[in-house]
Amino acid sequence: MDDHPPLQKIAISGPTLASLIQRFSTSPSSLHGLLFGHVTLLTPLNLSDDPSTASSATTTSDESTSSATLVATVTGFIASPSPTSTFYDSTGTVTSTSLSHLLHNHHNHNNHQLIGWFSARRKTPLRPSMREFSVTQSLSSLSAFSSQIQNSPNPNSTSFSSSSSSTFSPCIFILLSSPFSNDHIHTHEYRAYQLRASSSFEPKLIDIVNIGPAFRGHYGSFSPNAPFPVLECDLGMSSMNEERDGNADKEDDRLSVMREKAKDQRELDGCAEGFEVGRLRRMMGSEARSYTSNLEGLYEKMLAKVENLTRLVEQSNAKVLEQEHYNRKLRQKIRAAAPE
Amino acid sequence: MAVSAADNVPPFIAAQLTHLLSHFRLTLKVEQMWSADKYNSGPFDRFTLLIPFCLDFIKWDVIYNAECPTVAPDVIFGPEDEDFHPFHMPSDDGTQATSCLSDWNYGDPTRLLSLVQFLRDQYVLYQRKRVGEVDDDRLKFEISTILSREGIEMHMSSGAEKPEEVKFAVPLLDMNINKMVPSCPWRYPQKIHLQVVYPVGRKYMSAPSAPRLKLVSSSELKALFSIDDVKLPPWLDGMCLAEYLPNLEEYLEKQVSEAVLSIDLRRQFIEALAIQLGRPVEADPVFCRKATFLSATGVFTFLIHFLIPTQFPKQQPTIMLQSSQHFNSQMAPLKSRPLVDYPWSPRWEPLLMADRVYEFLADEALNFKRQCSEGTLQ
Repeated sequence: MDDHPPLQKIAISGPTLASLIQRFSTSPSSLHGLLFGHVTLLTPLNLSDDPSTASSATTTSDESTSSATLVATVTGFIASPSPTSTFYDSTGTVTSTSLSHLLHNHHNHNNHQLIGWFSARRKTPLRPSMREFSVTQSLSSLSAFSSQIQNSPNPNSTSFSSSSSSTFSPCIFILLSSPFSNDHIHTHEYRAYQLRASSSFEPKLIDIVNIGPAFRGHYGSFSPNAPFPVLECDLGMSSMNEERDGNADKEDDRLSVMREKAKDQRELDGCAEGFEVGRLRRMMGSEARSYTSNLEGLYEKMLAKVENLTRLVEQSNAKVLEQEHYNRKLRQKIRAAAPE
Repeated sequence: MAVSAADNVPPFIAAQLTHLLSHFRLTLKVEQMWSADKYNSGPFDRFTLLIPFCLDFIKWDVIYNAECPTVAPDVIFGPEDEDFHPFHMPSDDGTQATSCLSDWNYGDPTRLLSLVQFLRDQYVLYQRKRVGEVDDDRLKFEISTILSREGIEMHMSSGAEKPEEVKFAVPLLDMNINKMVPSCPWRYPQKIHLQVVYPVGRKYMSAPSAPRLKLVSSSELKALFSIDDVKLPPWLDGMCLAEYLPNLEEYLEKQVSEAVLSIDLRRQFIEALAIQLGRPVEADPVFCRKATFLSATGVFTFLIHFLIPTQFPKQQPTIMLQSSQHFNSQMAPLKSRPLVDYPWSPRWEPLLMADRVYEFLADEALNFKRQCSEGTLQ
């Protein structure tokens, strides 16, 4: 099997890491789940003002992949709902079916693909265990779940050697633990590894991305996780259609236009609350005016939508917690019963 | 260590752990148990196991999940063994490996034992492979010559602070020592091992230096035979282990046989004492290392303890007197200091030895009585 290309570091945004730690600290025992994100090939800029090195810069552009670095960014995670329904079995083998079961509601798009998994267990040494190795190996061998490396060179191009592959199998493993001491300070330890084909875990540097002056460079490489829906752009075509066709087709046209508009409104309602799709037209093209106020209005409605969703999540969370309590009581009965 | 249900350990874990500790062929120890939550208030489903290997211990953490009893436990190995993957070793076939963990039956107390047994066997192979990869010609030669012996365990230690060393644990003496001692009370067969430590990686040394040698025996053996008294034959220059071992084993075999014969010598001594002092109140009938007699001088009644060393008769027994009438502040009976400075010669017959001891005791008892009544003893 191909060697997984080595990562230079693993970037994770502050809120994602905090969310992961919070999920772990509120769980009664061990936790594990899947990690999502993307892998990017960063080519360093070789431009300089010095004219003597300018010529060497152009000649090295073909070899820039050798000094290019591979960075993985973790954008989100899913924790396994309960210890019993997990994506691996007692021997640590992961199957496509068990993984699909966990992923069936997950929308796979470019920036949010499966890149690895995490395991969290309190008061244990911070190094991978026997089963964690088996699971990582099994997961990274499922090539069906490999993701595309972004900015990677075209694999069909003849100027590159065949050893550089443009897919990345899910071989990242993040381990969380806590030290043994029983004092009143909560300490969270974490370490990230990449599984290389030599069947060994390589620890990788974790780069936490936050908002602030030190992270301005990230604004340039920002890519949204929840992109705006793609809507049909119809600049002034509908009015022309109405004049062109005869009376008999007028009804049909108007129906299809209305159907199209309703569909677009539904898509927009998926990310904004109560923003009329017609307003979007006023922000584009020759008819655009009061662009700023409309844009601000759009953002306001999007925030309102997020708030509503949060409230819904709170309510359903309470129901899920109730069900989990009930399940735990059932499991306690199994645990307390002595084996025959 | 017996794991009781009152210890907040879930019953299915307690059953498997107790079975492991009582049926494993080596003596395992549990260092500590703890729970998954921060304050140890939940059920104790994790523990550290100390497993003897190569005359030392390896520490493995066994992690169950009390929330989820049907899942097999996980194991975290030591910090130096990050390349140890027991289920992914290239040599074995997959069938035997997966059977330990697949279809885990949490109600079967024997499953943990089979798992630990499998893991330990794999660990022996893993260390052997690591030692085999060391780039040292002398070591490779040594390994090739002694590999035919059964039961050798090897260990390669490579820490940042300590120099690289390869340690061998060679079991010696095929003989069943337990059978040689009549009515032997030992539960497990006693073994003697030779620990050989080779320094490696120091290429600038021209001549291979002698390895560090040490004899290690199981703890119960010291009732019969103390390996600290054994002087190892010297390791001559240019010797190899295959040459050294037969000499050593021959020497040890003689020592063990002598030790078994000396049981009889000790028994004769005790019997001779019994003629003078009457039947002993207590005596060790198997190894004859201890005997206690009750005696009196005038109205002062006292006990005489004899502690007979393994080097008897070369080394004389230690005598301790214990009063039955005087007690110290902790309500313990007063005892004399250990007496070893009485007339003795290993060449005497047992009857003569007993006579001389008796004479000595006749005087010493009066001394002891005086010390007791004066309160000079504590």
